[in-house]
Amino acid sequence: MIRMASAALFVLVVFVGVTVLTTRYQEKLEPTMYEYMVENFQRDTAAHNAVAAILLNYRMYDTMFEALILLTAIIGMKQFLPSAGEFTGGKSGRGADTTDWSGDSPKQG
Amino acid sequence: MAERSLITQMIVGLLYPFMLLLGFYLILNGHYTPGGGFQGGSTFAMLFVARYVVFPVADMSSEHLHLLQRLFLALILVVPILVLFSGFLAGASEYSGMYLTLMDLFIGVQVGFGLGVAVFRFAFFKGIGPSWRF
Repeated sequence: MIRMASAALFVLVVFVGVTVLTTRYQEKLEPTMYEYMVENFQRDTAAHNAVAAILLNYRMYDTMFEALILLTAIIGMKQFLPSAGEFTGGKSGRGADTTDWSGDSPKQG
Repeated sequence: MAERSLITQMIVGLLYPFMLLLGFYLILNGHYTPGGGFQGGSTFAMLFVARYVVFPVADMSSEHLHLLQRLFLALILVVPILVLFSGFLAGASEYSGMYLTLMDLFIGVQVGFGLGVAVFRFAFFKGIGPSWRF
């Protein structure tokens, strides 16, 4: 109990300390990128919407890797969440005959 | 899924083309109005959910959907490298709108198929069997 409390106190102190330090000593940057994008996005990208201009032209790398993240999530889901037919062994998961819709809840155990 | 209501079937059948229309509207107007690829793709994935609500039969392979998703992901990765990063678009600015629409369409279809795989996996998942343990 003492160990858990001290660990929680340590985490809280670190959290508060890091938050206070990073908000007190924040570097103020000039908004040059913001001004450039707001002024020039229509001429640069022919988009009528600054968000679309940033997502699809200025920050295209971001969109590409966002799509990759979706693929990664789906690969992980396919790995850890086998479909109904894959348990029975041999029989493929396709087709209505392997799925049983008579009961609402799956059997446990 | 004991009973399937006729009211649900009729309403979902009525709304189905409008869902498709909303998805295409969000995608194709992505560079004019709020919206874009991800939102339109999520609307496309709603089609799979609606289909599952009225017709919960696993007659569609999630492998095919995943293959299509990977195909469109490859297009998302290849088209900007060829068109945008090579500097072609900076010289030919009349194709900029076409490029934005095309990329929104690719992203939307990719997200739609990807979330469709997720919907099928979760919908037809039965947490039994020897290989599934947390």
